[in-house]
Amino acid sequence: MILIKGSTLFDGEKLQEAPLDVLIEDKKVVKIGPSIEAESAEIIDASGKVLCPGFIDIHVHVREPGYEWREDLESCSRAALAGGYTTVVAMPNTDPPVDSAPLVDFVARKGVALSGARVLPAGCVTRDRKGQFMAELGKMTDAGAVFFTDDGSPVATSQILKTALYYTRDLGVRIMEHPEETSLTSGGQVNEGLASSVSGLKGVPASAEYIDVVRGIALSRDTGSPIHFTHVSTALAIEAIRAAKREGLPVTCDVTAHHLSLDENHVLVSKFDSVYKVNPPLRSKGDVKALWSAVADGTVDAFITDHAPWHMDEKDLPFQEAPFGIASLECSVAVIMDTWLKLGSPVPLERILQLFTSSPASLLPDSWKGLGRIREGSMADLTLIDMEEAKMVDLELWESKGRNCPWRGEILTGWPVMSIREGMIFRKEI
Amino acid sequence: MNWRHRNLIDLDDWTREELNLFLEQANYMEELLNRPIKKVPALRGKLIVNFFFEPSTRTRVSFELAEKMLSADVVNWSSSGSSVSKGETLRDTAWTLEAMGADAVVMRYGAVGAADYLVRKLKKASVFNAGDGTHGHPTQALLDLHSAWKKRGDLEGARMAIVGDVLHSRVARSNIKAFSKMGVKVVLSGPRTLMPVDMVALGAEYDPDPRSAVGDADMLYLLRIQKERQEQGLIPSLDEYHKRYGADNELVGSAKKDVLVMHPGPINRRVEIASEVADGEKSIILKQVRSGVAVRMALLYLCLGGVRN
Repeated sequence: MILIKGSTLFDGEKLQEAPLDVLIEDKKVVKIGPSIEAESAEIIDASGKVLCPGFIDIHVHVREPGYEWREDLESCSRAALAGGYTTVVAMPNTDPPVDSAPLVDFVARKGVALSGARVLPAGCVTRDRKGQFMAELGKMTDAGAVFFTDDGSPVATSQILKTALYYTRDLGVRIMEHPEETSLTSGGQVNEGLASSVSGLKGVPASAEYIDVVRGIALSRDTGSPIHFTHVSTALAIEAIRAAKREGLPVTCDVTAHHLSLDENHVLVSKFDSVYKVNPPLRSKGDVKALWSAVADGTVDAFITDHAPWHMDEKDLPFQEAPFGIASLECSVAVIMDTWLKLGSPVPLERILQLFTSSPASLLPDSWKGLGRIREGSMADLTLIDMEEAKMVDLELWESKGRNCPWRGEILTGWPVMSIREGMIFRKEI
Repeated sequence: MNWRHRNLIDLDDWTREELNLFLEQANYMEELLNRPIKKVPALRGKLIVNFFFEPSTRTRVSFELAEKMLSADVVNWSSSGSSVSKGETLRDTAWTLEAMGADAVVMRYGAVGAADYLVRKLKKASVFNAGDGTHGHPTQALLDLHSAWKKRGDLEGARMAIVGDVLHSRVARSNIKAFSKMGVKVVLSGPRTLMPVDMVALGAEYDPDPRSAVGDADMLYLLRIQKERQEQGLIPSLDEYHKRYGADNELVGSAKKDVLVMHPGPINRRVEIASEVADGEKSIILKQVRSGVAVRMALLYLCLGGVRN
């Protein structure tokens, strides 16, 4: 038994005003109340801290199978838990791509038996992620896939995307689209605008994201199927999603910690440090502002990391030669909290916490919908946040193999200090 | 004035005062070049590596001449036949050069950010950017500035028209910085498909009509149009480019009478420049080349411990 005393409880929807105690027994939350006594319980004093449902990140590049020198399921799982997440979704752009039931099964089985966060599999939309033929989406659903995505690339043609949307409509597993019109982005390196003009590097225009989002919205309207847009980075695309939601279409989206906190100036001010090279690229200051407005008004459904770890031998190159990606699993919660604090708390904390918990949980298949909430009887996946904790991002202490992190050495405020998965304390720093 | 720069990556952090001092120093170097015995012992015992990953004749030769005039020991390291072609990374090659005792590395490299990267990786050797992709080519800008300044003196209030492929031009980017700092107003012209989207961020204006862009110009700077821009579909044909934007006597005629016609070389005749202009009396293209050696001598001298006051 574990008794967490005196925390401010966030149950997935609302922050409770008065401090509450939470009693955990056998993987479950068994009791919530103002003053619980339990003699044999391990007591944790959480006063002044916020107790939340375990955080969920639906977009992580685990790199296994195939690229284990960059990250593997075990290191990623430990990194996720250290970063405050109890559940993460593994992107399928591995080697081989996760495009069949046996591969989904491999990730699913391994993913629930790791020593950190549980890792749930996403499968490819198309066979071999090549955009030509639909993968066995039904068999992958049965094997435990929680999203279908060709992430790293958009679904190659509108016809295949439409077919896959129809096909998945009754499967209960969403398609996650990486929105990018690739004929406009080929060779692109940085945001088209300030960064491309100053550097001469090929720009990635906001319109490339917008065009693919509009395509997805149109096909969602045609098929009646839900579609989820991941790592949305531009004001243009956000506005299209906002309008689609107003129309009542089953359209959802997520935004990354880096697009909420960094902009294209970081590429220039850092003098082309490749750690700022990411796809979609860091955008304009106006785009960052638009993303925060979308967080505030409910257009955004989830925060993600898009954690993309690289071995530094691969990443530490001149900007133009380096691969895309930022590793952030172990600091992304703090990045968002710190940015939110610095912006003067422009959104209620409740909303921020929803986007880490109940809101992404609602995008998962029904079997996982219990995640992201704290109720008596619910699974004891919990994240404890200390909004006053100020700590340096120290890559030496990371569980992740990735070191390509723009916040290295920075002091951020607002950290996860304890993570509990299925009733077990996996990490405690209080 | 103490010379605070040890490297030259680009001209962003050079002040106007520093540029003026630099130009005087380059003039002094040019005088040396006119003496019967050109060599001076200023950098005797310094090892400079010319590290060129892209084909370059004039920049490499110009640096090498400058180094030799100052009595430095010079090593030329090119990518073909070197460790780079065996898969060694830029970082490892750079560390190797430093271990061999290089005091300075002059580098041309195809990737944007390569020179900044090299500065971060080297522990003590100076770095001189001889071109990093589309981003910067500061010694070209310095020699252009020197050529114009010698002809015109103070450039405050002067106007410069840059016509051509600004989008892919490291020369244009560095030149806009250098000339703007000296009080020159820079106007860009050329087809939209060869222009950066945000020209205000570069500190320049855009005029789609080359005739009005060139009007009142004290300097007309032409950029090389690479054949591959046509292959990429950014311009329909080189001939169409020449007809609309190429510098012929008519276009030059819309500028000031004593306009200086400049080009970084190598020139494409009948593309961005007609022979009548290239070889005409307003062209200072070959004078730019001569400035190149003096300017690079001044740079190496100042940054590698020549004068400190």
